[in-house]
Amino acid sequence: MDGSVRLDEVVMRFGDFTAIEKTSLEIGSGEFFSFLGPSGCGKTTLLNIISGFLTPSEGQVCIGGEPMASVAVNQRPTAMIFQNLALFPLMTVFENIEFGLEVRGVDKRKRRETSERLLELVALEGSGPKRVTELSGGQKQRVAIARALAVEPRVLLLDEPLSALDLKLRQHMRAELKAIQRKTGITFIYITHDQGEALTMSDRVAVMSAGRIQQVADPMTLYREPATGFVAAFVGENNRLQVGVIDQEGDRVRLDGGALGELTGRAGRETRLANGEAATLFVRPEHLRPTAAEAAGPKFDSEIEAVHFEGAWVMLETRLVASGEKLRVQLGHEVLRGYADALGVGQRILLGYDPVDSVVLRDDGSPVLDADTGEVLAGRQAAAGEEHV
Amino acid sequence: MSSQRFLALGLRFYVVLFFVYLFLPLLIMAAATFNDSRFPTVTPWDGTTLRWFGELAADRGMWQALGNSLIVATGVLLIAVPIGVATALFLNTVSSRAKPFLYALILSPLLTPGVIIGISTLIFWRQLGVSGGIFLTVLGQATFIAAYVMLMVTARLQRFDRTLERAALDLGASQWQMFRRILLPYLKPALYSAAVIAFLQSFENYNTTLFVVGYDTTLTVYIASQVRTGLTPAVNALGLILILITVLLAVVYELKRRREAAELVKGV
Amino acid sequence: MFRQLQARFGGPLAMAIVTLLGIWLIVMVTLPQLQMIEYSLRPNLLPAQVGGPDDRLTLTNYATLFSNDIHRSIFVKTIWSSVLVTLLTLAVSYPLAWYLAKIATPRQAALCILLLIVPFWINEILRTYSWFIILAFRGPLNELLMMLGLIDRPIRFLNGNGGVMVGMVYAYILFMVFPVYNAIESLDDNQVRAARDLGAGTVRTHRRIVIPHAKPGIATGCIMTFMLAAGSYAVPALLGSPGSRWFTQIIYNWFFEGGNWNQGAAYAFLLLVLCIGFMSLIMKIFKVGLGDIGR
Repeated sequence: MDGSVRLDEVVMRFGDFTAIEKTSLEIGSGEFFSFLGPSGCGKTTLLNIISGFLTPSEGQVCIGGEPMASVAVNQRPTAMIFQNLALFPLMTVFENIEFGLEVRGVDKRKRRETSERLLELVALEGSGPKRVTELSGGQKQRVAIARALAVEPRVLLLDEPLSALDLKLRQHMRAELKAIQRKTGITFIYITHDQGEALTMSDRVAVMSAGRIQQVADPMTLYREPATGFVAAFVGENNRLQVGVIDQEGDRVRLDGGALGELTGRAGRETRLANGEAATLFVRPEHLRPTAAEAAGPKFDSEIEAVHFEGAWVMLETRLVASGEKLRVQLGHEVLRGYADALGVGQRILLGYDPVDSVVLRDDGSPVLDADTGEVLAGRQAAAGEEHV
Repeated sequence: MSSQRFLALGLRFYVVLFFVYLFLPLLIMAAATFNDSRFPTVTPWDGTTLRWFGELAADRGMWQALGNSLIVATGVLLIAVPIGVATALFLNTVSSRAKPFLYALILSPLLTPGVIIGISTLIFWRQLGVSGGIFLTVLGQATFIAAYVMLMVTARLQRFDRTLERAALDLGASQWQMFRRILLPYLKPALYSAAVIAFLQSFENYNTTLFVVGYDTTLTVYIASQVRTGLTPAVNALGLILILITVLLAVVYELKRRREAAELVKGV
Repeated sequence: MFRQLQARFGGPLAMAIVTLLGIWLIVMVTLPQLQMIEYSLRPNLLPAQVGGPDDRLTLTNYATLFSNDIHRSIFVKTIWSSVLVTLLTLAVSYPLAWYLAKIATPRQAALCILLLIVPFWINEILRTYSWFIILAFRGPLNELLMMLGLIDRPIRFLNGNGGVMVGMVYAYILFMVFPVYNAIESLDDNQVRAARDLGAGTVRTHRRIVIPHAKPGIATGCIMTFMLAAGSYAVPALLGSPGSRWFTQIIYNWFFEGGNWNQGAAYAFLLLVLCIGFMSLIMKIFKVGLGDIGR
């Protein structure tokens, strides 16, 4: 059962608006693959193209190596879990799960066997005769999964299915989804704007923005080696400083920080920067440390503007004395022990980082996220494309 | 503040008066049924009797008209409900620049006086060699009753979650299976309501029917002609029976509708 | 448009929908109206003359209304009386709608609406007939008035426009109450409270806040009531006298007594134009669209 999915130069346009720019991608059979991006980035459009609800303007989708161009929605070897689950409210749990088999003309006894087995898989034994309206949010979620699995899809498409649940349940369902995926070996294609979901469950993640895939990588690589400024800012938290390149040697880059003086950073993977080029230096809050004036390496003289105690760590909001730019600093308890008195609002603090933990990326014009709200500031605005579906 | 209170009291009094105004005429009509007078009145009271029910039962014209009304109402139901449902589905699905125009055309039978619908139907079918009678009555009434059905079905359809349709297709259902198993069951309550309303509207119609009924007679036309000629309290007896049936139907219908509305609020 | 239907329902079902809609709109709604107009533009001829030199399009049938003083005055009277009925109905309905929507507790409102719906379902003829009994020469109203000493001898209520108009208000009032009620109900209570807080009196609150908000409902109610009143045959036939004829009765007579269908069609079309005209006027005054009327 080949559940691989291939996108060949897929383009999706709605009138003048291009929701998906030319995209090619291969998803392996049995992979847990996520599309991660802010709302309007085109991820739902892409899901609808794979499921067959939308026909791409250009290019094609292959599932298991077979082109899907002439295969209608109801013939595709995919099943979808909808954001609002879309359980049939007038039917029982059994009827919901068996719906896909019923329309295929599977006889009643066989249908019941399948649904009993699936209810067991999702730990809902005995709930079959209940109406779906009687179920809790988590139970509905499981019924939706069972209903999709009943038609034995080669690819399961999940459209932000956890977004309606509360935090605790959401985290629990992450583990459960991952377990079900492992048990069934079905390809999961998961859509989300929640990086926590994407990073914890996925084998690989495609980060999308403005109708374009920014980077495809496993979660660790995505976090450590962002390929674009967008990914660096969107995945995890990042401080961003505009710099000029002095020169690059190997992956080590000397930077002109303007008022901040000379800085050092590590070039992004496969990034060759020209001397004098404009670039951005990314340093994550957890990589900034209080440091001594005489220590080696780059240092920022800054003033503390706010202190947020978050339990496992403390988040400082600071402002650079030289340039007025903001830096967020995350300090664990092991660091805090030595600096307990030095962390009041208004106090000055010297911050340093190990250049190995930083990333320098070329200014590529990719969309920039607002550090405070996470909204896309520059680049193309939220795509109307998702409304078309 | 006291003027506010005075106003509030006045409003309450007005509402009571309004309901008296609404029901008193019907009660007087009902009471006249039992007055042993040759004319339908309550003044003077000539003694209490039930004989007008007997006279009514013996009236063959009444039974004939009742039969016709039932046939017509059934015919209207069978024509207007499918048309109304199809129209609602059409409006719910289609988006086009022509839609506002079509919507105006679809609503027009509701905004056209009933007599004109009757007249145009009569004239049109005469050209085709069909003259007034039960058939034209059915067509004439269905013309505007279909629009009522459309409104009722549309009201429910607008609350339908269309991802259910997509889910059904995604699970392998054909569009017909989706319609049969998902959309139609969802619409069922509205279909029942629409059927009841269509039947009743047809049963009570006068203005349109008058022009297309030809030599046949429906119950409403029969009552009107009885009032104008040969009036006896037998008409009141008939009215009383019809009112009682209607009240029963209305209450059952309304309570059922409310229960459904409550269920809907409870969430699906 | 068909493509959208086909995409959602599949070929056969889309075909059925379009067919049903087409039959309705073309065969039942449009063609009969066009035929009626065409009919109204032809002279009333003997069968032998049809297709002959006299069979040509003419406005004679419309000219009749203007040359016939009686018909013209009845036409004008029908308009004025219908407007009056509409205004009366609005005046009577508005306080009730306001009470139901904003004053009554939910339980009271639910009960009142049930009480309103019951007579709404009862046959128009029967509702009219009940007033026939009340207004009769020897009916309860005359008896009551005489008992109270307000009059010495019974009045012939069923002899003029008064009886007809009372009957119409009674027959069509619920077509006004429900749209107005629905419109007022959707008004945010806080707006009313805010207006009160700012010192607006009852009259001003209604004039500036409630009525502007209820405009679509008031417009719908007025359009429906006027249309029903102007197009009513039952009420004037039952409660009127030969001296208080309604325009619909003239139309009826052309068809079934005068035997001049062409003339009748012309008059019917005039009635339709009147109703469309009134509707356009109301929609203009209240600045509402057709979409508001479909509720």
